[in-house]
Amino acid sequence: MNKYLSIIFLVLLSVIFITIQTTLLSPGNLGYFSPDLNLILIVFLAIFSEIRGGFFLALGNGYLMDVLSGNLPGTFMISRLSTYLLVRSGSNHVYLRKALVQGLVIFVATIFTWIFVLTIITIKKDSSFDITAKSILIQGIVNAVVGIPIFWMIQKVNARFQK
Amino acid sequence: MKFLKNRAVLITIVLFFVSLQLFSLNIREKRSQNFISGIVLTLTYYPQKLVYIVSDKVLNTWQDYMDLVDVRQENIRLKKEVSSLRQDKFELAEQRVQNYRLKKLLDFKESPSYPIVSANVIGGSPSLLRTEVVIVDRGTRDGVSQGMPVASSEGIVGRVLTVGDKSSEVLLITDPVSAVDAFIHRTRVRGIVKGTGSGCTMEYIEQNSDVSIGDKVISSGKEGFFPKGVIIGTVSNLETKGSFISAQVSPFVDLDSLEEVVIILKTNNNIVLNE
Repeated sequence: MNKYLSIIFLVLLSVIFITIQTTLLSPGNLGYFSPDLNLILIVFLAIFSEIRGGFFLALGNGYLMDVLSGNLPGTFMISRLSTYLLVRSGSNHVYLRKALVQGLVIFVATIFTWIFVLTIITIKKDSSFDITAKSILIQGIVNAVVGIPIFWMIQKVNARFQK
Repeated sequence: MKFLKNRAVLITIVLFFVSLQLFSLNIREKRSQNFISGIVLTLTYYPQKLVYIVSDKVLNTWQDYMDLVDVRQENIRLKKEVSSLRQDKFELAEQRVQNYRLKKLLDFKESPSYPIVSANVIGGSPSLLRTEVVIVDRGTRDGVSQGMPVASSEGIVGRVLTVGDKSSEVLLITDPVSAVDAFIHRTRVRGIVKGTGSGCTMEYIEQNSDVSIGDKVISSGKEGFFPKGVIIGTVSNLETKGSFISAQVSPFVDLDSLEEVVIILKTNNNIVLNE
């Protein structure tokens, strides 16, 4: 029963995070200072979540990003799924209880996701996107700073369901 | 799941190539994705609308309070404005009659008018990759369909990209994939207005054309997409590119603080060039 509650909680959280990201914290309003809550949640799923549906949640979250940002399905869906898999496999080798390490993982995950997307864009010679290295670095830092307290909060609530 | 965890790097490389293929494939197949995209838009409509209502109420209350501070001066200014507008109204009525008479004389055909539906902007893009997308609270239930032009009282805003049951995504004219067939209002010189991310440029203007800074740019209606004569913006800079002139266009509509728009319920039979 608790496992199902945990899944429902994480699905609800996905919808809440994407809603906040498209309304109050939209990059259209805040520019590159806008935190990517969707990515933060995917990193959380990769590090802490013990539920089996984490893979599909990461996939679904990426799809939400694709649809709501008007991008082609697959741009974020696959890049975020790759981030999820890499962080999940790497989480066994790193001590992730410290907030600083968690922040660093979020930062690296942000950079990796953008490199993944931008490499595809560069190979496909699509000039319709305009994103700079500076904005990626700033978003990585913003994600890390915002992600640490979010991790702490989700952990607190999610732990209740996983007991 | 253990299999995925142990071979994460290998799977990431595979996913990279899958993504690379999808990127080119989806350009052609995007329309088939609309059903699932529509469900996603409907799913996120309710929380987005809730946030919109709450934030709108808070902002309105604050605005009401701020308005009260300068209400006396505002009242005096508005009375003067009303008096001036009354004079303008009278003159316009005269001109309308004259215009009607002259059009009749020249046997001019009236441009068709389309039904419109007003919409509130309830959200924006969640990604830095493409920020020139907004979400509005009208969908298929209100007669909206993909490709319909979107405008505000000041001019063209963009076009409908994806439609959900109750909400739709609008691609702004400043997005790099947006293109509108347009002409200079003063001289009728034609060109294509493309988005640049932060603004627009009017391209493919012939070298010896009469274009100058400050000229108004309006839609030509020739691509069968936007109605003819809707204002786009003003020419703010000119540059020669090969055998063409490229004019920087500042959109009339402030797309950064868009709150309300109208969707023109005009279905187009033509597919836009860049899709």
